[in-house]
Amino acid sequence: MNPFIEVENLSFVYEDESDKIPALHNVNLKINAGEYVAVIGRNGSGKSTFAKLLNMIHEPSCGKIIVDGCDITDKNISDEELFDIRRRVGMVFQNPDNQLVATIVEDDVAFGPENLGLPSDEIRRRVDGALKTVGMENFSRHEPARLSGGQKQRIAIAGIIAMLPECIIFDESTAMLDPIGRRDIVSMMEKLNREMGITVITITHYMNEAVRADRVIVFNNGEVVADGTPDEIYSNKKLITDAGLDLPQCAALAQELRKNGIELDGACITPDKCAEAILRALSKKEVRDE
Amino acid sequence: MSKISVKNVSYVYSPGTTYRTDALTNVTAEFESGKITGLIGHTGSGKSTLVQLLNGLLKPSEGEVLLDGRNIWENPKEIGKIRFRVGLVMQYPEYQLFEETVRKDIAFGPHNMGMSEEQIEKNIEKIAKIVGLDELSLDKSPFDLSGGQKRRAAIAGVMAMEPEVLVLDEPAAGLDPEGRRAIFSAISDYREKTEATVIIVSHSMEDMADFCDNIIVMANSKVFMSGTRDEVFSRSSELTSIGLDIPEITRLMMKLKEKGVAADTGAYTVKSAAESLIKLFEV
Repeated sequence: MNPFIEVENLSFVYEDESDKIPALHNVNLKINAGEYVAVIGRNGSGKSTFAKLLNMIHEPSCGKIIVDGCDITDKNISDEELFDIRRRVGMVFQNPDNQLVATIVEDDVAFGPENLGLPSDEIRRRVDGALKTVGMENFSRHEPARLSGGQKQRIAIAGIIAMLPECIIFDESTAMLDPIGRRDIVSMMEKLNREMGITVITITHYMNEAVRADRVIVFNNGEVVADGTPDEIYSNKKLITDAGLDLPQCAALAQELRKNGIELDGACITPDKCAEAILRALSKKEVRDE
Repeated sequence: MSKISVKNVSYVYSPGTTYRTDALTNVTAEFESGKITGLIGHTGSGKSTLVQLLNGLLKPSEGEVLLDGRNIWENPKEIGKIRFRVGLVMQYPEYQLFEETVRKDIAFGPHNMGMSEEQIEKNIEKIAKIVGLDELSLDKSPFDLSGGQKRRAAIAGVMAMEPEVLVLDEPAAGLDPEGRRAIFSAISDYREKTEATVIIVSHSMEDMADFCDNIIVMANSKVFMSGTRDEVFSRSSELTSIGLDIPEITRLMMKLKEKGVAADTGAYTVKSAAESLIKLFEV
């Protein structure tokens, strides 16, 4: 199977007035269609730059990005092709107040499809469908300004869904939300991926969001320093602390227990997994005691 | 002893209109002198209204706000002085940076309150150390700093006024783990060096567990629960009943308890949870 996104020797340098600051250095990655990928790393690690390169908001300094066989970094790429890539690879940003353009929710969602020049009944169908998918169908005539942060992000997602994308990139889209809004958007990501088969790439600081993905990619100093399952990544204390991230509390607890001679099997990165491992260890102990 | 408190306070937005909203209803709460108190609750629970009442940005519809036992609205003309004594750091304060240099920006508040140049210089030195900004960054434009540094510069601007009560609304929102730790260690350090009373509004129970002495939980315009950190976390199931996040470690302990394990569900740190569980294996 060909990967949906293929990144080869990708580098990016921010050009300041005085100096050149490399943000990405020689990144190589493949992301398959239908994957749910979390990209983590401290501020300035290059993860957001990476996201913005994937649909050419930034142009790479060198290297290639191939989306579904099309080299989007090719100098000769036409505007139409680039436009189509941006339709297929949608992006939700961090600040819910910066990405809604219309004064009524359904106009905002219709903005993209209108630009595609679709017939009006098709636009209607897509807008209604997209609002239903994000659970905002009862807000179609509301003013975006009066919605909560989480609701605004859902409208932004609806605007992307209405374009029928194959991949959605969430660039720290939960960072400015309260816990309820955050839970909302994370379950939305799962739904888009698991039920609709959309490739989801989420850039995040929050490990409890990253552990829900199939795959976690760790950036540090502009390079990919690790790529694996959440279990593999989050049970590696050295990797996580070197990358300036937090070890999940449960993983830290498991480590403490193991230090004290308690044998826990498996990766204890979430309360569920950790509780199961502790229960198994306790029942083994009971068997031994008998 | 409480440094600042609210007594039977209610606050109504747009009274007498169809948009009338009761943001706080008969709230009584005390903030212990020299301690860090965490204020937690859902969006719309009234916590932001409460912090704006504490420094006189809002005037209670009913009830009193007491600073050192005196009603801050006793003399409404003097309310400006209260705002120097109760410093408020708003959400995303870095959006309010505007001066040419970080140093000038930090000096803006102290200037306004009429502090002497000499004292301002001294305070900048002291506060820059607390928030971890070096000489070099003090002379930079605030816009050339990283996100975490900008946040710290903005907080320093309020700290430099040396408020007796420092109120911070979501001081670590949107920062990465290192940025978050830097902010909280600056706040703890400020409290230690000045013995100020600190109030932190946050959505994160993990932050509350790590940094606060006392916790007040708001829900539906009222105080839902308050007490020391230990007291509040010993009632974790009540916290989850109103949909609040509890620390992962507490969630783990509650799960074990459900399965019949004698785990201490009052544990909210890795250390206390580990101690409780190790005992189970030693029996």
